[in-house]
Amino acid sequence: MNAAHENAITILTNYVFPNDLHVHWSMMIALYPYITGIVAGAFIVSSLYHVFGVKSLKPISRFSLLFALAFLTCATLPLLFHLGRPERNFNIMLTPNPSSAMAGFGYIYMLYGVVLLLEVLFIYRPTLVYLRKKSQGLMEMIYRALTFDSTNLSPESLELDRKIISFLAAIGIPMACVLHGYVGFIFGGIKANPTWATPLMPVIFLLSACVSGVAGIILVYILIKTFTNKPADTDCVRTCTNYLAGFFILDFVFEMLEVLSHSYLRTAHYHAVDELLNGPLYNSFWIGQVGILSVIPLILLGWLCLTRVNDTLFKIGASLVSFMLLLQVVFMRWNVVIGGQLISKSARGFTVFHPEWFDKEGILTAIVLMCAPLVVLFVISRIFPFWMEEMDEG
Amino acid sequence: MKSSYNSHVKRIILGLVIFAVVGFIGKEISSPKSFGVYGHYRADAIQEEADRDMRHKTNTPCLPCHTHEAGLHKNGLHKTISCEFCHGPMADHITSGIKTGELPVKKGEEIRVLCLRCHNRAIHARPGDVIKTVVMPDHLRDKKVKETHTCNQCHHVHAPYNYIDQAKQALSIKEAS
Repeated sequence: MNAAHENAITILTNYVFPNDLHVHWSMMIALYPYITGIVAGAFIVSSLYHVFGVKSLKPISRFSLLFALAFLTCATLPLLFHLGRPERNFNIMLTPNPSSAMAGFGYIYMLYGVVLLLEVLFIYRPTLVYLRKKSQGLMEMIYRALTFDSTNLSPESLELDRKIISFLAAIGIPMACVLHGYVGFIFGGIKANPTWATPLMPVIFLLSACVSGVAGIILVYILIKTFTNKPADTDCVRTCTNYLAGFFILDFVFEMLEVLSHSYLRTAHYHAVDELLNGPLYNSFWIGQVGILSVIPLILLGWLCLTRVNDTLFKIGASLVSFMLLLQVVFMRWNVVIGGQLISKSARGFTVFHPEWFDKEGILTAIVLMCAPLVVLFVISRIFPFWMEEMDEG
Repeated sequence: MKSSYNSHVKRIILGLVIFAVVGFIGKEISSPKSFGVYGHYRADAIQEEADRDMRHKTNTPCLPCHTHEAGLHKNGLHKTISCEFCHGPMADHITSGIKTGELPVKKGEEIRVLCLRCHNRAIHARPGDVIKTVVMPDHLRDKKVKETHTCNQCHHVHAPYNYIDQAKQALSIKEAS
């Protein structure tokens, strides 16, 4: 190679525009769809029982709603950490913009929050009325507020509640899908980014949401039961794992389909996507997300769902698969959100993302934010009992 | 409180209505008054931006006072570069015709940093035929000067080839083309 060509190649490779050096959508923006995904997925688990009548999911039907509620309370935190001026967040409510998907967030989030909270209150009403009678002082005040100061549990009243619960659960499903699908829609709508701009993006986000939600429920359910020395309902765990397998097969197929369609169609800037996936993202995409965290769980799920595995082994296997799939979704969010921004608009080079430990949007913040919903879940568990059997004993 | 079979539902609906009404009133009170007159922004912002004092005022007010620099600058290769690009905004120097502050004149190592903002070859986006770029310290070695030399020891900052052309003229060196 002569000197002139060498010079040309140096100039043509890794050419990053000066305004593309910095990855603006940091880990917080990867964390936000992760948390809302868990909300949507957990809600769908509870809807499987409340709307579609999957009886074996009854033991976790209430828990999954509270799980969704706990994560929903923390869903906006990553966004607030990301904003330069977080105190201006209410402006999206004050000046709604119907032509912006991102600006719709405030209203979508609020409506979904109201529906979820109402569903919890209606489902728990008989329990809350019972607890109100048993408690005193502050707790009595809380239960009085949560039951709207009504102790009427007549069959007529419960029948009305049942109808309202069905209605709320039914409208909750499309709303959960909108809440999470639109996150994918925002990414899919960014035309300038070759890895994001695909109509498959909302579908992939939605399916991965279901995966992370169901996996989160299985893992936390088994962990709580193990640490409280209570038996976990095997039938329920098995049904959940079957749904997890179903959602994950669809999710993984669509994730691969996206890469395949880019590759087969040789879409615009395919060379950049190709270099990205086989270059800076090789370890986190092919080895992490696809190899270790998708192929191995698929094999494990096949073993759990298609063969006769004894109960103890099943619970260990289900916990392991759930943990791996929760990580798979973290990797997927990272590869989409951070990975997508590594390509310079020149389509000829990649920037580098350096996460910091003690940054406003750093690793420590991410860890604290992921622990926050579990703390909220613990606080909620002091007010709303998770399990039906505890009530029966009471 | 005595409660009928649907009293909690009535209270919830009432609560939601109050929530919506308070929200709506809050939105009306807190929304900027001129929002949406022309589009999805505050119309008053246009006037507010127009009323803002200008910070940059082109080369025109600089040159009448700084006549020595003006003479060099207008005839040098840097003639298209704004004074404010290196020295900072005019508003920090003169307000309503009165001198209110000194603008920085870079010296020593700062000069090198300033020059390399444009003349650094590491910035591939600079078109080479418009702006001459160099790699430091290779350029200093090529020219056989000390690596501690600052740019302005050979180049006049207002007319970069001034000294060099003068030296060539004095020594009758002709460019090898």
